[in-house]
Amino acid sequence: MATKGKEMPLESALAPAADRVAHLNARYRNHAAQAVLERALGDAQVGRVALVSSFGAESVVLLHMLSVIDRSTPVLFIDTRMLFEETLTYQADVAATLGLTDVRTIRARPEALAAHDPDGVLHRSDTDACCALRKVEPLERALAHFDAWITGRKRFQGGRRAVLDFFENEDDRRIKVNPLAHWRPEDVQDYIVNNRLPRHPLVARGFPSIGCAPCTSRVAAGENPRAGRWRDQDKDECGIHFVNGRAVRGPQPAPQEEPEMNVIVTDRGFAPDDWTQGFHRPETLGEATGNGVLALDLPSDADPCDLADHLGRVTMIRVDFPSFADGRGFTLARRLRLMGFKGRLRARGHVIADQYAMARRAGFDEIEIAPDLARRQPEAQWRRRSAWQAHDYQSRLRGLA
Amino acid sequence: MYEYSEFDTAFVRERVAQFRAQVERRIDGALTEDEFKPLRLMNGLYLQLHAYMLRVAVPYGTLDPAKMRQLAHIAERWDKGYGHFTTRQNIQFNWPRLRDVPDMLDALADVGMHAIQTSGNTIRNVTSDHFAGAAADEIADPRPFAELIRQWSTDHPEFQFLPRKFKVAVTGSPNDRAVIKSHDIGLRMLRKGDEIGFEVVLGGGLGRTPMIAKVIRDFLPVADLLPYLESIVSVYNQLGRRDNKFKARVKITVHEHGIDRIRELVEAEFALRRSTFGGADQQILREIEARFRRPTLRDGRPADAYEASRAADPVFRAWADTNLVAHRHPDHAIVTISLKAHGATPGDASADQMRVMADLAEEFGHDELRVSHEQNIVLPHVHKADLPAVHARLAAAGLGTANIGLVSDIIACPGMDYCALATARSIPIAQQIATRFDELKLEHDIGPIKLKISGCINACGHHHVGHIGILGLDRAGVENYQITLGGDGTEAASIGERTGPGFPADEIVGAVERLIGAYLKHRESAEETFLETYRRLGMAPFKEALYGDERQRNAA
Repeated sequence: MATKGKEMPLESALAPAADRVAHLNARYRNHAAQAVLERALGDAQVGRVALVSSFGAESVVLLHMLSVIDRSTPVLFIDTRMLFEETLTYQADVAATLGLTDVRTIRARPEALAAHDPDGVLHRSDTDACCALRKVEPLERALAHFDAWITGRKRFQGGRRAVLDFFENEDDRRIKVNPLAHWRPEDVQDYIVNNRLPRHPLVARGFPSIGCAPCTSRVAAGENPRAGRWRDQDKDECGIHFVNGRAVRGPQPAPQEEPEMNVIVTDRGFAPDDWTQGFHRPETLGEATGNGVLALDLPSDADPCDLADHLGRVTMIRVDFPSFADGRGFTLARRLRLMGFKGRLRARGHVIADQYAMARRAGFDEIEIAPDLARRQPEAQWRRRSAWQAHDYQSRLRGLA
Repeated sequence: MYEYSEFDTAFVRERVAQFRAQVERRIDGALTEDEFKPLRLMNGLYLQLHAYMLRVAVPYGTLDPAKMRQLAHIAERWDKGYGHFTTRQNIQFNWPRLRDVPDMLDALADVGMHAIQTSGNTIRNVTSDHFAGAAADEIADPRPFAELIRQWSTDHPEFQFLPRKFKVAVTGSPNDRAVIKSHDIGLRMLRKGDEIGFEVVLGGGLGRTPMIAKVIRDFLPVADLLPYLESIVSVYNQLGRRDNKFKARVKITVHEHGIDRIRELVEAEFALRRSTFGGADQQILREIEARFRRPTLRDGRPADAYEASRAADPVFRAWADTNLVAHRHPDHAIVTISLKAHGATPGDASADQMRVMADLAEEFGHDELRVSHEQNIVLPHVHKADLPAVHARLAAAGLGTANIGLVSDIIACPGMDYCALATARSIPIAQQIATRFDELKLEHDIGPIKLKISGCINACGHHHVGHIGILGLDRAGVENYQITLGGDGTEAASIGERTGPGFPADEIVGAVERLIGAYLKHRESAEETFLETYRRLGMAPFKEALYGDERQRNAA
């Protein structure tokens, strides 16, 4: 089985975190948590990765997933020296039960504690300063050796977590991976039950979210599960998950969703899509009353023979490429042309610039790509292949050159 | 032999320029590793256990001295001074650096060579009979057809992202020296009246699910070759499984749908595609054939020197007995140079050895060299009078091993010493077996036998078709070697049968020795080969030699 480390040794530094995050989110958009975690552990774009765990109420889910994929992945556990006794016991139990082989306990440096909180009462006067001393700074030092870290944060936890993605750019320094971002509370419970995982003993006593003992209180029915953290304070994060490294107070505005358009690539380069008539699926084609502007969306596993009767009245066919490694679309295009289709033929999806000549030679007129791919492989890279008629054995063997 | 046309040359240069840009784009991040991987694979660049590996195509196994010298140069300049000839008539360099690879590809292009489609899920380098153009039993030279298929499959726009790799082999003789029934498509040349055509077999393969190819067309006229191949591959491209890498080869597609259903689909596709070539391909075939002119062999030169050396020099005689094959011209011989010196890595040649072979081809061999799928080098046209000189030069370069077709002429995959997939070592096992039988001085008495070793279930060492096959597996962290018997890669192809439990690394050489002992004891005469004895007697006496008497075992 391929494990991290068997990836190609990349002979250059990683690309900027922002680019990798955009690409990773697009690539794993429709993946399940387990798949995201599994790939994050082996993906060269993610780099060296550690799981950061509080061994709190729900941590066991990610820890279990990790133990199934690779028990030797580093797990960073922050012992603030203010934790519940139950958490420390639970941490040791879970690590042993799951067979985790590289749990690293992270603590504040003794000299820093002596300087800033010799009596252990800082939390009473300044919770932010206490968190910074006991959690943020120690973790920052520990993460210096990693390109990415895995967290258990979920959208349902609310606050600024409500818009969480699988992959986040942490100040252009590291990537944060949130495999459980889209999980609902019941998913977490189902997973723990189905896998017979040990629960944190405090959960049964009314603590659905567990931090340091002084700043965690019980939560009443109907309250947000994290309501017991820094109760009655204008604080809902300890600081390790701040946006752009700063504490952000108050409700977060949803990020501005720029509705970006797909890009159409032709021999002339990039252009916006000029087709506004919509697309039919093959199964609804029979119901469509053709008036000359009929367009068809074809999945990559379609049998073109089924279309034989309709080709004459279809103006455009758009063939899906679920992955650039799936070459069925090329043969589909060729078949459609051999069957006499003369209309507009478009490839849509994950087609890369290096495949442009293949697509054109197979019979496509144009390619529709997503904005993130267009950013990563800009127009110049596509235009480099625009002379697709040159150096073509096929046209020579067919007497067309 | 075939020299690149201007078109070929321009194509390969353009391809190198593309790859150079792709390497840069990978390094600057425009291409993700996922996206770069198939592109580097299409250009022969693998990632192995320790480093990259560049696999260079030797189309249909044919080389000339200039090409061989350039391979030597590349080995010295960008690698560790040697190359490894493979079972698919390629050569592999095991230590290139990513940044150097475009320069290596340019150096290859200088002599009309490339690494295109030597890996990846595309149509791979077309292989052929290593005795093509020289063998006495040949209907026609298969290499022009292999070259036509190379041109057609190169950069074919439909077939660069197939479900899985796709291998084609062509043989021009009824005797199959190209293992065609273990290929995705095998083409066996036939004569029907005055017409030449091919029997087409589909869906052979080794790997974890070995299958013998099935006949899909019993006679395909030459003119229909490309449209028919294109029809097969397009049906596979649509139908082949993409959900499971281990079920993606066409042998599984054929197995799951049945050869009759596949034939129907292919014929329907063929009806659409047959007319698309319009004869231009046949014109190109004739041009290719003209470039494969046979060398002008000298008649009338006496071969006395050969007979004299045979009589006087037992070392030469032993070599001549094993390493020569009848040439279609009686004054000539086909020389096989063994890359299997006892104790050396099967298939490896140093840069110096490559240059010696290039020199010999130039002086004595009409500028022709071949790479055989059994990982040896062939000089196909040597006059018998020159054989003593050729042998002396080979022996001086450590290339005089007289073991072709014998027990130490072992095919072995790179195994765990190089390969990221391997589960056991193969090269050291091959070395130990060869060394042991060299000590026993029994090799020539044992006679023809094919011993093949794979270091994992993917079967790159072709163990399924070895008379004795050895498969190295990992059993709970310990190497364990299973033995199969009775495999055969010729026109009478068969898959070997497992003997029983495997052996640990330190017992496998003894096990092979016991098998050979059983053969020597049970053979009817010195003429009966190992395979013939096995086919006559079956598994029982060999099992007994391996594991002891069954009743005793039960009693114990």
